[in-house]
Amino acid sequence: MRDLLRRGRDMLFWGLCLLALALVIAPSLAIIASLLQQSWPALNINLFTNTTATNGLQNAILGSLLLMAGILVVAGPIGIAGGIYLAEFAPPTRAGILRLGYETLAGIPSIIIGFVGYIVLAQELHWGFSLLAAILALSAIVLPYVVKTTEVALLQVPATLRDAAVALGLPRITTLRRALLPPAIPAIASGVVVALAIAVGETAPLLYTVGFTSQDPTLSLFQHPIGYLTYVVYLNATLPTKLEHEVAGAAGLLILVMLLALIGLGRLVARRAARYAAQLPS
Amino acid sequence: MLSSGRHLGVADVVGSNLDWTVQLDEVRVGFGPKQILKGISANLPKGKVTAIIGPTGCGKTTLLRSINRLHDRRPGFNLKGRILLDGESIYAGSTDVRELRRRVGMLFQRPNPFPQSIRENISLGARIHGLWSRADVSTKTEYLLREVGLWDAVHDRLSSTPFSLSGGQQQLLCMARVLAVEPNVLLLDEPTSSLDPHSTTRIEELIAGLKEKMTVIFVTHNLQQAARCADEILFLEQGEVVEQAPVKQFFDDPADPRSRAYISGWAV
Ligand SMILES: Nc1ncnc2c1ncn2[C@@H]1O[C@H](COP(=O)(O)OP(=O)(O)O)[C@@H](O)[C@H]1O
Ligand SMILES: [Mg+2]
Repeated sequence: MRDLLRRGRDMLFWGLCLLALALVIAPSLAIIASLLQQSWPALNINLFTNTTATNGLQNAILGSLLLMAGILVVAGPIGIAGGIYLAEFAPPTRAGILRLGYETLAGIPSIIIGFVGYIVLAQELHWGFSLLAAILALSAIVLPYVVKTTEVALLQVPATLRDAAVALGLPRITTLRRALLPPAIPAIASGVVVALAIAVGETAPLLYTVGFTSQDPTLSLFQHPIGYLTYVVYLNATLPTKLEHEVAGAAGLLILVMLLALIGLGRLVARRAARYAAQLPS
Repeated sequence: MLSSGRHLGVADVVGSNLDWTVQLDEVRVGFGPKQILKGISANLPKGKVTAIIGPTGCGKTTLLRSINRLHDRRPGFNLKGRILLDGESIYAGSTDVRELRRRVGMLFQRPNPFPQSIRENISLGARIHGLWSRADVSTKTEYLLREVGLWDAVHDRLSSTPFSLSGGQQQLLCMARVLAVEPNVLLLDEPTSSLDPHSTTRIEELIAGLKEKMTVIFVTHNLQQAARCADEILFLEQGEVVEQAPVKQFFDDPADPRSRAYISGWAV
């Protein structure tokens, strides 16, 4: 009797767990399903060979990749250097001020960052719609994230490793390079990957800074608008024909695929980090 | 030379006797308001092994880390009194801290090799301190690995990671890493507490051999080990020196009743 009761309670518990899981997963599955259904007829090679002028996505895909590359070049090094400075070199008060700074930056809505970028870069500096302005605006959005992950990654390196280097009389820069960075690198890299994923989904700051064009992007940093995927989702949804709606769905699907790829990559790097950490002294 | 300036014979308070290489002069260490060491005075003689013993939390690690300035960057750290190395105060403004740390080597409770190759673990410090040229690396690395008894185990994988070695082997590698920078003082913080008996014996043999060349300060919670390895015993309780005595005298006929009580629990 008691056994039966416990069995019943167990089943109820697991049932609730499954229900919760379903509630979490269902929306994601529903979104993917509806995107697939929406875009089905448009999913063909034309997406990659045509530009948005002729209901393809070539220019938008290239533009999104270009923006990601730009973030990698700008936010990556600056954010990593900032995190290293905070974790290893900044005196406590200055570190406190800097932390307050990046936490504030992290709290600013992206549309405001885009607006400021528009006023300062596009107008004041006469950059016009500009790839560089967009990269800077997106970098400002993801920078706090990169700084934070780098700082945390370094602070999580076992103290015994730092002790070993300091006790040996190694200079701080050698301590950093030879003892602290190697175990922190996987976590830093997965932070950068997540930063890219955040940036891929942004639209608002791009509307202001880089505009949109259905021509393929060029590498010129100033006075040239470029296309990107999120804009297509936004614009095509407002257009009249069914084909245009299908292309919007396809663009959404591509963003999702990129996100999943980035998240998968981040997981992979993080897994390496965990394996590495297991070997380190605690 | 420890300090960048003129050699100052500043040991007049404790007496400038170079037979004592490490002199602790009323050393008080605190973190913020918390006082850990409450006025430690002791002379740790050159060419001898001094074992620091005492109950957990009495301040052994704190004292050891003070001797190569490992607390420097810790918030709230404050030190009063003086620690003299060959008569010079190591907390003086003129102290070259990196050179001090080269001269005062330290082996920790847990092995902590660098995430670098086995070879680089040993050569990194010596190269940075300008003791080895690039051409020295392979012969001197081999010499040190033979010295600590690791050569046969690792000679065919010098370029690979040290993390696949056993804990004992890693600690021996750390010992080789310290010896590579030619220290004058060796600080050991319970270096065998996590090791297998074989590696423990190897470390103890090394200590016995090294004391001719350097001052060895050896923290251990194991009284048998202290009796085996040490020449002098420094017994601490709650951040204070209870007794310092030659090893035989300390265990046969301790002067302080607290020492007697402490060792009677162990039956050496
Ligand atoms: N950074 C620190 N801040 C505050 N208290 C500390 C710090 N480090 C050690 N202590 C305290 O100092 C005392 C002595 O510690 P420790 O030197 O590690 O003792 P032992 O090595 O003899 O076991 C302990 O009570 C410990 O809690
Ligand atoms: Mg201790």
